[in-house]
Amino acid sequence: MTPLFSTRNLTHSYGDVRALDEVTIEVPPGRIGLVGANGAGKTTLIRNLLGMLQPASGEMEVLGLPVSRESLDIRSQVGYMPEGNCLPLDQTAADFVGYAAELAGLPTDAARRRSSEILFLVGLHEERFRYLGDFSTGMFQRVKLAQAIVHDPQVAFLDEPASGLDPEGREHMLELIRRLGDFGISVVFSSHILSDIEETCDWVVMLDGGRVIRSGPIEDLGIADSLTVEVLGNPQPAARWMTERGATVKVAGAMLDVRTEGLDAFTLVRDALVATNVGVRRLGQSAVTLEEAFIREAEEGEPRG
Amino acid sequence: MVDRPAEAVIVDRGYRHFEGTRKGRPGAMGAVVRDGFRRVLGLRRKGRRKILPWTLITMMLISVAVLSALHYAANRVGVTDLVAEELPHHREYFEFISRVALLFVAFATPELLVPDREQGVLAVYLSRPLRTIDYLAAKGMSLGILMLAFLLVPQTIFHLLLGVFSPDGFTTYMLDNLDVLWQVPSTAAVYFLGYASAALIVATLIPRVGFAAGIYLAVMIMLNPLAELLVDTANFAGSEYGALLALESHPHLVRDWIFGAATSGYPVTRAGFEPWVALATIMTVSVVAVALAWNRYRRLS
Repeated sequence: MTPLFSTRNLTHSYGDVRALDEVTIEVPPGRIGLVGANGAGKTTLIRNLLGMLQPASGEMEVLGLPVSRESLDIRSQVGYMPEGNCLPLDQTAADFVGYAAELAGLPTDAARRRSSEILFLVGLHEERFRYLGDFSTGMFQRVKLAQAIVHDPQVAFLDEPASGLDPEGREHMLELIRRLGDFGISVVFSSHILSDIEETCDWVVMLDGGRVIRSGPIEDLGIADSLTVEVLGNPQPAARWMTERGATVKVAGAMLDVRTEGLDAFTLVRDALVATNVGVRRLGQSAVTLEEAFIREAEEGEPRG
Repeated sequence: MVDRPAEAVIVDRGYRHFEGTRKGRPGAMGAVVRDGFRRVLGLRRKGRRKILPWTLITMMLISVAVLSALHYAANRVGVTDLVAEELPHHREYFEFISRVALLFVAFATPELLVPDREQGVLAVYLSRPLRTIDYLAAKGMSLGILMLAFLLVPQTIFHLLLGVFSPDGFTTYMLDNLDVLWQVPSTAAVYFLGYASAALIVATLIPRVGFAAGIYLAVMIMLNPLAELLVDTANFAGSEYGALLALESHPHLVRDWIFGAATSGYPVTRAGFEPWVALATIMTVSVVAVALAWNRYRRLS
């Protein structure tokens, strides 16, 4: 399967500041979350992938096409929702979204038709003939999403699409993003709000200080193989027993956080408790949030592809 | 008795993929050109956005109607000397429409460039199959086509009506005035380059449409007396080059040169330069304007 995008040793600098540092990743089609703090390099990565910025070094491919040579072909097949303002306030939503479709090469009639359809899809059908200058922030974000998908792209790059929205607007936007995947449109969705990514995406790329600290399926973040055990008595013997068998165990009071690779965590904990004759008060799967995983990966600090 | 079904409601029309042909870069450029027309003419915009362009267009159409009526009346009463000597023809008509065209360029050029830049719409353009140079070229085409239409449509109507009203007949008039067919388009092109290039410089640098239009008009109007002052009264070495500052008058000088009329009254010729120097200045300013715009937009993108 052709990767959605891939980069090899991608480096981009703004003066002395390295926004992307030797980024090497390969990402499959689907709903991709691009997470990182402000300034982590998310927008720079997206703009490089679109050919809007020239990297200092490195190579990139989007949809199997090299960005350095085929950026115009790539841009015909992708959509982009910028983070900041990008809407002309003196045009109606229908006119602007139709124009955005024409800019992607669609004939005028098809552009108008799709403009109407997509504005219906994002919930702005009633408001499509209103001027954008009269729109609220939530409506603005939906028009920005509409212009990014009106030309039926294979992938939509959405830069902080839920930024500035109230909880209801945010939920609506995330629902729209989830639906794009159902329509066969891959989504690369950048956010510094990790719960949004967690709810929406099936693959996550974590960026920190311009480096990729993790890129992989969201279910591989350690949730399945991680257990929290509260024991009766001294937890140290059980912890030592499990560590000797390859598990990573963190002890905090009577609590054990057990993470295993290639072993069944429940079986390991059961055997450890029996072997060390320690009673158990509580046992359950750790609810590792994306936020915790991000912090863990950032602390470990070793870039991984 | 059969129950009546509840009223059907379409809750989701789903999503349809586009299966037609995509026009790529030429299609994107064409879209920018068409949007430029709509933007300048205020089409699909609020009513107040239409007032200025359509007032100027109306002025042009009224002027050609009045001028043609004068020629018609003079021909009807048989005052051919008056028609030949006193009534304005194409060159003199440019004198009027070039003033209106200056106003048109003053607002149209920033209108084409400034909102896209200041409202962040460039990010959308440049995520499409469009390079910075394509965007600028398409905007230039919009302005060029509108400006040439603005100058040439009234002149064409005027020329055709002169032929219709001519006592010698339409065909004879057309054959006797073949020079007009190159003189008028050439002059219109010179006015476009002369006025639009300076407007491009201002629109590239100034972040508000109204402000840019005002600065452009002020600069164009003030540079003429400044150039005359330098040519006529200053006596330091090289002061004659101050004549080149008269950007507004250069197209008039080149127009008179094209039509074979006297060119002695302009700052450039008063400073001792040949008329081609005015044309060279226009070309130079055009190149500078394009280079400046390209550099600014390259950085922005």
